[in-house]
Amino acid sequence: MSNKTNEKEVLLSVRNVDIAFDNKTGIGKKRFRAVKNANFDIYRGETFALVGESGSGKTTLGRAILRINELSTGEIYFKGKKISGKLSKEDDREVIRSIQMIFQDPAASLNERATIEYCISEGLYNFHLYKDEEDRIAKVDKALHDVGLLPEHKSRYPHEFSGGQRQRVGIARAMIMEPELIVADEPISALDVSIRAQVLNLMNKLKDDKGLTYLFIAHDLSVVRFISDRIAVIHLGRIVEIAETEELFKHPLHPYTISLLSAVPMPDPRVEKSKKLVVYDDSGRDLSGEKPILQEIRPGHFVFANDREMKEYDAILKEMEAKEAKQ
Amino acid sequence: MENNKNELFTFAEFDESKSEHIEAPRYSYWKSVWRTFVRNKFTVAVCIFMLIVVVFSMIQPIFSQYDPMYMPNINDATLKFLGPSSQHLFGTDNFGRDVFDACWAGAKNSLIIGFVCTLINMILGVVIGAIWGFSKKMDRWMIEIYNVISNVPFLLLAMVLSYVLGSGFRSLIFIMCVTNWIYVAYFIRTQVMIIRDREYNLASRCLGTSTWTMITKNILPYLISVIMTYTAREIPANISYEVFLSFLGLGLGQQNASLGRMISQYTTYMNAYPHLFWIPVSILAVISISLYIVGQALADASDPRTHR
Repeated sequence: MSNKTNEKEVLLSVRNVDIAFDNKTGIGKKRFRAVKNANFDIYRGETFALVGESGSGKTTLGRAILRINELSTGEIYFKGKKISGKLSKEDDREVIRSIQMIFQDPAASLNERATIEYCISEGLYNFHLYKDEEDRIAKVDKALHDVGLLPEHKSRYPHEFSGGQRQRVGIARAMIMEPELIVADEPISALDVSIRAQVLNLMNKLKDDKGLTYLFIAHDLSVVRFISDRIAVIHLGRIVEIAETEELFKHPLHPYTISLLSAVPMPDPRVEKSKKLVVYDDSGRDLSGEKPILQEIRPGHFVFANDREMKEYDAILKEMEAKEAKQ
Repeated sequence: MENNKNELFTFAEFDESKSEHIEAPRYSYWKSVWRTFVRNKFTVAVCIFMLIVVVFSMIQPIFSQYDPMYMPNINDATLKFLGPSSQHLFGTDNFGRDVFDACWAGAKNSLIIGFVCTLINMILGVVIGAIWGFSKKMDRWMIEIYNVISNVPFLLLAMVLSYVLGSGFRSLIFIMCVTNWIYVAYFIRTQVMIIRDREYNLASRCLGTSTWTMITKNILPYLISVIMTYTAREIPANISYEVFLSFLGLGLGQQNASLGRMISQYTTYMNAYPHLFWIPVSILAVISISLYIVGQALADASDPRTHR
């Protein structure tokens, strides 16, 4: 790790994590590795984005951090404490409280038969985070206010709200627990384009107000560029590149990252027309040499490569940097 | 220019919270259930009719004091097999008993047994089924118990048990509940499994909600309409079960009035005195069908997708 990143406090670290699903009933007894040897750190106060196509294992990894999915191997540490595997009851409750999740589909993630008041106070009830009934209502009112909803919404049911409002209820429900880390699993992909900005801005505002840390899972790179500080690119369960946002957009190294970035739509039609789409294809690549691992090529910039590829990437990087220096 | 602008235009006040306001009237689940139920006039009429039948069959036997073992007219041939008249609305039977009184006393017993058995089966089934759906450990041995019980023919079990316990009100209820709750439980278990891993339940788990709270707050409210539909089927089914068992002589004994026993006794007179057979059969049919219609209407109304 570079000196620059060492100054920050590591909030969550994922070490050699493998997540596999066994097909017990099938004839073939196949084992599916959804996440392969994932390694990364999330620093306090940053927004760490996990990007990849559908089925690349990003949601699985996010859910493993919330301990919905079990790890096959590896460990996850939260504030230096191991949170994977068995935990004592107090630690378990503490981790549940301090890691919260914002779900993808606001229509499916709220209990349709409960009022908004119950939806938001559910966590308060479970952890008894209020002094008395008055305090609970005050907390719910404040949480509603924080996400721009009104106290009169308390007695309403989720189906009466619009998608954006529902997603904000979901955010309020997570925020009321006063968490430290929030795993946001594609929080805006189910929303209308017109209200995506509203929810993103709200998430950014809450992050600044409450000093939150986000693990932002997404497949939309333009959104990720807007919201995140660092990005990890995941492909078929394997993290292929980690870098700071601007670094990754400027100097993408791994072929998969390059093709992913080439898929970002450009707002300028002339640029968009002349844009070349790079289709990622493993078969055409030279995969000779020893097994690749995630290596640091520049401070804070990791890429999944073996020594031969590292040399190639290094040459490409130097070329790019030389070009920039000329300009 | 500047002045003009000031005169013609003023800044409108913008209040963001106004756009969040919901204009629609407040939604209440049970009120909507009631409104949807009342909307269909036919089912309301059937419901009123059913209530009259139920109340009448509960009250009439109190006044008639009908006892199937009390046969004062057994030796008076002039009072046997009378047709319907103003004195005996449904006529009299082979022992000179009044069929009208017998029918309502029988209907009362059938209804009580139908309701009590349904209540016991549903409560046991829903509670055990909900836990069953959640617990993998419980699932492992409960599914074996289910397999064993569902492979024993109910009639065989009912015969053995009624010989052991003897006939009577309580033993009949026991026979009809001892295994039947497991079918309700199995049905609820499947329903719970379907919605157990939905996203809103994952969200509750992330908030640290206990399994019991999940069952009562997340799962069962979703299953209300499903449970209602099941209950609507169960009540008439239990009534006809009672009649069926009594018809075979396994249910209520001689000392209790019973529609099933009446039907089985009067089958022999089907050609000579058809009204003796058809009257209890049609009372049974009317009760079952109206209960079923009302139950289905209630079940439909309790499904929020029908709420407008």
